[in-house]
Amino acid sequence: MTTAPPRPYLKPLPDMSEANRPFWEGLGRREFLVPRCDRCGDYNWVPYPACRSCLSEEQTWTPVSGEAEVYSFTIVHRGHGQFNDEAPYAIVMAKLVEEPRPCIVLGNTRGIANEDLFVGMPLRIVYEDVPGEDVTLWRFGPR
Amino acid sequence: MVRAGRSPGAPGGRSALFPKRQAAIAGVYLTKQGKLPDRTSFSLQLEAIQGALADAGMTVADVDGLLPMSGSNHIGGLDGGTAPHQFWAEQLGGKPVSLMEVGGASGQLAKATAAIASGMCEVAVLFYGKAGRPVGPRGTAMPDRAPRVPEWSFAIHGAYMIPFYAMWAQRYMHEFKVSSEDLAQVAVIDRYHATLNPDSVMGAKGEITVDDVLGSRMIAEPLHLLDCSLDNDGGYAVVITTAERARDCPKRPVYVLGGAEAVSTDFYVSFSDPWFPESGKSVRKAADRAFSLAGVSRDDVDVVGSYDCFTVTGLRNLEEMGFCGIGEGAAYVAEGHTRLGGKMPVNPDGGLLSGSHCGDPSGLMVVEVVKQLRGECGARQVEGARIGVAQQQGFAVHGIGSTLVMAVD
Repeated sequence: MTTAPPRPYLKPLPDMSEANRPFWEGLGRREFLVPRCDRCGDYNWVPYPACRSCLSEEQTWTPVSGEAEVYSFTIVHRGHGQFNDEAPYAIVMAKLVEEPRPCIVLGNTRGIANEDLFVGMPLRIVYEDVPGEDVTLWRFGPR
Repeated sequence: MVRAGRSPGAPGGRSALFPKRQAAIAGVYLTKQGKLPDRTSFSLQLEAIQGALADAGMTVADVDGLLPMSGSNHIGGLDGGTAPHQFWAEQLGGKPVSLMEVGGASGQLAKATAAIASGMCEVAVLFYGKAGRPVGPRGTAMPDRAPRVPEWSFAIHGAYMIPFYAMWAQRYMHEFKVSSEDLAQVAVIDRYHATLNPDSVMGAKGEITVDDVLGSRMIAEPLHLLDCSLDNDGGYAVVITTAERARDCPKRPVYVLGGAEAVSTDFYVSFSDPWFPESGKSVRKAADRAFSLAGVSRDDVDVVGSYDCFTVTGLRNLEEMGFCGIGEGAAYVAEGHTRLGGKMPVNPDGGLLSGSHCGDPSGLMVVEVVKQLRGECGARQVEGARIGVAQQQGFAVHGIGSTLVMAVD
């Protein structure tokens, strides 16, 4: 009996910038880092050059708790490229528990049946090393 | 049903309308819409430009303003290519052009109105054309290595336009207890209208029911195939000029009473909570300002062209434009107001769900409303239509909005 070789990962991957390299390195350490404003304390997602609340350019990559809940979600039956091979697949908009500025993070799920998803469902960020690539991505699992 | 109050500036109702008719639409043109394998985007754009100018009794020599929609530049190389207005200024003969503007169609035409009123230019043409570039997943090839995309791109998570609108619909349905049947009404009405429009892509297929929509295959829950817009080829153009000059053109002038645009988000990278605030977002901002500038109230509107790229968008547009309250779009549509014969038909051409969705379709709403106000629409004509509104939205779902209020004497 032979085992099929693992399929290469053919879904889009991030073209990392120097400015955001700490974030991607953080994922490799199983940390999800969000820029936090040194002046007003707000978290900003996605990372932007200055704080959206007070416009300070002084922001610090800060680990968040990883706890979130489903703000909205969809089960996709028709996707691009390799995603289509995995359809139906879930995409969630996960709202991090960090406040007050809402951080809504997009991602796929792991360990949650599509039919079990609901608005308000508690989630936790999980990490996945991309096979054959020097990239770690975040996913959302059950909490 | 909640109706927006009359805006200040229209105290006397219709008789006191149209205080500032500074510019008018003098020409419109639609290319064939549908599958056009023998055409290029460029040729559709060129046809549309010349067609709209002919409709206005003009030629390219009259044009001194260009309003290209996205995807309108055709020369690559040279440090990454040229801006569309630069390409088209040269292509059309190299005559100096005094207005260059990009954005959503109604917003572009609103700014062109201001430019014409202030003397920056006299004849501007808005145009678009697309052939052979599907927007959705259809036809995408499997890459042989993982493609690299911008680092916060939704593509990393398998999202594209339909999943975003699906998540918007999901949250909207959750907050306001709206059903899939409620959404489906929009597709049913659009298809009915399309059957009366010989230029529509889907009209020949006949009417559909709510059950047809719910029974069509799921694309991204809760959106079925028939909840989604078309993805076809086609082009269009609109010529706008001074009111004075438009009165000398062959067709009945359609005056611009007011217009505005608004943008609040980047391109599908960040989202805010609440998603449906009572105060509204970009579409509300653009509509409020356009109606205020026009001195027209919501009750005065006879016909609407609305960017209903999904059934949910059709409902949300009505709410954000102030024709009903937030969460009341489904009830408003169920009352029959938006269907031909109702008090304010929406998308009598079939809209983006059954009329045409040609790549960047934001000018189609303007073309249809202009034709309605001219009384050129045959079986789908809204009788006695004098005041019309064209509205568009996009980018991160209602992240950008534009509205144009138009009227005939």
